[in-house]
Amino acid sequence: MALTSVETFHQPETKNRVAELLQEHEDRAMIVAGGTFLHGLITRGLIYGIEALIDIQKLGLDYIKPVDEGIEIGATTRFLQLQESALLRDNAALGAIRDALEYPPMQIMNSATIGGCVASSCPFFDLPTSFLALNALVLVHGREGGREIPLSDFFTGLFENALQADEFVVAVRIPGAGKGCASAFVKLETNANDLAILNVAASLQMDPAGHCQAATIYIGGGVGESVVRAPSAEAALTGKKLDAGSMQQAAAVAKNDVDPLSDHRASAAYRSAMTAVLLERTLKRIQNRPG
Amino acid sequence: MTELNVIGKSVARPDAFDKVTGGRHYPVNISMPGMLHTKILRSPFPHARIVAIDTSAAEQLPGVKAVLTPKDVPQRPFTPVYFVPVESKSMVLDFVIMSDTVRWVGQPVAAVAATSIDIAEAALELIDVEYEELPAVFDPEEAMRDGAPQLHEHAGNNIAKNPSLSIGDLEAGFAEADHIFEGVYQTQRVHTCYMEPRVCVVDSDSSGRLTVHSSMQHAFGLREKLAFALGLPESRVNVIKPPYIGGGFGGKLDLGFIEPIAALLSLKTGRPVRAEQTRGEDFISTARHPIKVFLKTGVKKDGTFTARYIKSILDTGAHATHGSEVIMVHGLYGAFFPWKCPNQAWEGFTVYTNNMIGGGYRGYGAPQGCFPIESQNDEICEALGLDPIEFRLKNTHREGDPHPVLEGHTLSSYRLDECLRRGAERIGFDQRKKAGSSPGSIKKGIGFACHPLWVSGCVGFPDIYEHAGAMVKLNRDASADIISSCVDIGSGQTTMLCQMVAEELGLDIESVRVVYADTDTAPFDAPTHASRATYSAGLATKAAAVDARKKLFRVAAIVMEANPEDLEIENGNIMVRGAPDSSVPMADIIARAESPFIQVGEQGPFATTLEEKGTIIGSASMSPPTNPSPAAAEFVELEVDTDSGEVKILRVVYAHDIGRLIHPNSAEGQVEGGFQQGMGYALMEHLQFDQETGACLSGDFLDYKIPTAVEMPAKIESIFIESNEISGPYGAKSMSEMCIIVPAPAIANAIYNAIGVRIRDLPITPEKILRALGKI
Repeated sequence: MALTSVETFHQPETKNRVAELLQEHEDRAMIVAGGTFLHGLITRGLIYGIEALIDIQKLGLDYIKPVDEGIEIGATTRFLQLQESALLRDNAALGAIRDALEYPPMQIMNSATIGGCVASSCPFFDLPTSFLALNALVLVHGREGGREIPLSDFFTGLFENALQADEFVVAVRIPGAGKGCASAFVKLETNANDLAILNVAASLQMDPAGHCQAATIYIGGGVGESVVRAPSAEAALTGKKLDAGSMQQAAAVAKNDVDPLSDHRASAAYRSAMTAVLLERTLKRIQNRPG
Repeated sequence: MTELNVIGKSVARPDAFDKVTGGRHYPVNISMPGMLHTKILRSPFPHARIVAIDTSAAEQLPGVKAVLTPKDVPQRPFTPVYFVPVESKSMVLDFVIMSDTVRWVGQPVAAVAATSIDIAEAALELIDVEYEELPAVFDPEEAMRDGAPQLHEHAGNNIAKNPSLSIGDLEAGFAEADHIFEGVYQTQRVHTCYMEPRVCVVDSDSSGRLTVHSSMQHAFGLREKLAFALGLPESRVNVIKPPYIGGGFGGKLDLGFIEPIAALLSLKTGRPVRAEQTRGEDFISTARHPIKVFLKTGVKKDGTFTARYIKSILDTGAHATHGSEVIMVHGLYGAFFPWKCPNQAWEGFTVYTNNMIGGGYRGYGAPQGCFPIESQNDEICEALGLDPIEFRLKNTHREGDPHPVLEGHTLSSYRLDECLRRGAERIGFDQRKKAGSSPGSIKKGIGFACHPLWVSGCVGFPDIYEHAGAMVKLNRDASADIISSCVDIGSGQTTMLCQMVAEELGLDIESVRVVYADTDTAPFDAPTHASRATYSAGLATKAAAVDARKKLFRVAAIVMEANPEDLEIENGNIMVRGAPDSSVPMADIIARAESPFIQVGEQGPFATTLEEKGTIIGSASMSPPTNPSPAAAEFVELEVDTDSGEVKILRVVYAHDIGRLIHPNSAEGQVEGGFQQGMGYALMEHLQFDQETGACLSGDFLDYKIPTAVEMPAKIESIFIESNEISGPYGAKSMSEMCIIVPAPAIANAIYNAIGVRIRDLPITPEKILRALGKI
């Protein structure tokens, strides 16, 4: 299925021009960078009436830089660039990102971009789940200028988000974490080029005695319209020593936080059971990750 | 066995360089000046009558050159299956290219030829079809019930075919048994996932003669079926044999919709017309049939079979096509004859449903037989505490036994015992632990399966083409050209033919080529299917090379003043046996045969003989003499995560009685590729459809999961047993399909050994494992 309706392909060189073009074409324009999501939509016949593609690769948004205590990742940064970044190395707080980048096949690693995987607003993707657990912010730009949106407010539904018609994603910012913070991510998949049947990311702030001071846990992949937070599991860990007992307890209550769906890939019962298994695996990873 | 020069060596494959540099000769890359593109409008309903089709708006779209609807298509039914005659009495003849009744979601209802794909697609949206929806049925057992929606007038209760086999006295056999085992086993619909889509370019000339390029497994089958579908004499169709295609695996063994549609559009427009299916269209074009098998077996305490009853219900989808024959192969070679049992009965049902039409797929009904039988065999051994290897050997054939299917033929080479013994030894089967006994949540298991009977071609089947032919032409530079219509579908047929001709003519492999061929110029060859190419096309091509050598020696004998019987070839030279000084370059002899009668030398003109003149061409067209059975056993070691149900295959050992190895690397490639497809069948592959609308839910590789390199085991070890089949070329028999028949039951048995719970329906997904363990 070709995208026959496309009439123009823009390659603007400024963020303001992108916002103008988005305004001009209203909902008949799409941002493109790596093109992997667009390709998926086209081959599945899920996209109609797009008259303009706006390529944002000339905006200089492929970068990863330290900001305050955290990092900022430009929207057109490829997965592979992020994986190879020295800023990710030996940083237990960013472990969830490293884990999430272990799963995609090389073709996706080479083409898919950080901005694309967030803006797609698909609950079956991996990196957004790990970003959520790290309290990421989305930097967006529109005709009125730039603004920051907490990622947890950014996703509003399946393929839906808080972007205005003239806005697009320019970067993702991961705030700095204190000492003793570690995170991890785990995905359940059928083969190496699968969307998540289920995925889990957790970030724990530990005190020197090994107690969990704060926990942030998100679960994605067919457990809701968007990736969902797991407050019951977080509560089960907060104030506890991270050991087999507390991990099992958190895993056991996590299913209260999800409302999984049944589809041709897995039943709700299986997804629900896997919530516990995957969360326990994620917590074990954190346990083995020196903070 | 005698040491040979080229046979048994992994020579460089002549198509390899082309393929790894983009494969410019794949049919998908064919393009012609003035070529039009076609797109097909497909039914959104699983069952409906077409009341009206309005194509006027589409026809007026600039760039649209022709539109096709059912009224433009001949309505005489036939079978599109390449390997049988087009009106074969053994097949159910219910197929036409386009009909006023649609019976599955995706059935073509109209087609457009336009100057670009985009225009053709846009035109489809302008075609207005009025449907009258009819009730649909998707489950074959429901379809067999009284009152179910009927798909075809000729088939009461939707039963297209109902064959049966029996020997002995079933009731007495069960009465004699010490134990009776019963089980219901279910297999799913899977796709071969060939890499190159189905694609064709059809051109027509001013006399209405067609030239066809297509990605397919049988040039002559395509000619026969296309000519019939269009109501043309066969000689009005010329099919070009592609030098290679991007995989077939049985999935390109029938006339698709695209070739006749492109042909009709070419005849309408007088221009070449190209049709290429999308991956989504490919997924609903061909699939291995799901078969539900009811299996009841009586055994003595010592494991001897006393009785077996097998009932198989095959979901053929909207038309019988391959389902007419898959049920037979499943019954004969997949279920009834592989195992020896004095009292046995099998009943098969090929049932119409409003699902997609099934197709060919390596194994052709045998994987759906081997999975239930080898699963139950394992259950019997487990329950009765029998040695599973001895149990297999007790109940099946031995070398020298009469061939169980072919009267008057014997299993002259047959080493199932050696496959089982050597495979077991290599994997360390005697170290296998009791089922479910490994500690911890990640449990290891070892399992195996064997298949005792298969084919090296089609000799002995009713109504299936088996003969092959080839021509071998010698050139003055001491090289040989092979003209053969045997299609290389990826498994190395071209290389194998070159090796055989090089061996017979004493040439190196680089001096032998398989050249251009089409149905106008090459002799008939049956399809590349049924594990037959090495045995059947190989025998014919070897015979053509022997014929060429005989003619070469006749000329050499004149030139060398020797007796042709005394001559031999070595490294491109011809000599009298035992007299190396007599050696003459083969090129000189061929040149003499092609040179003028009076020649002019240094000393002036001189006469040669008229008897020596003429291009040296060998030819053969023949049926293979028999249908030797290979044998194979596969051992799998795996681990099951009992928390998540995930399965990881650790190690595979595959032992196969191949007769003689022709090309070791290609044979190993077959084993590894076969395991990949078999592992997908066992664990994850599943073409799924919405049970209310009939729409495909797994139309791309995001939803249709196949094992990637990441899931494949790190080690697949092949053991080839060279039993030297007396009737085969150099002792060879077949390779290709055994290695996809055995993986699913081997994996299922290993999973049982790991977790101690039996799962009887494929694919064995993590979810099914957790359910079986009672965890969800």
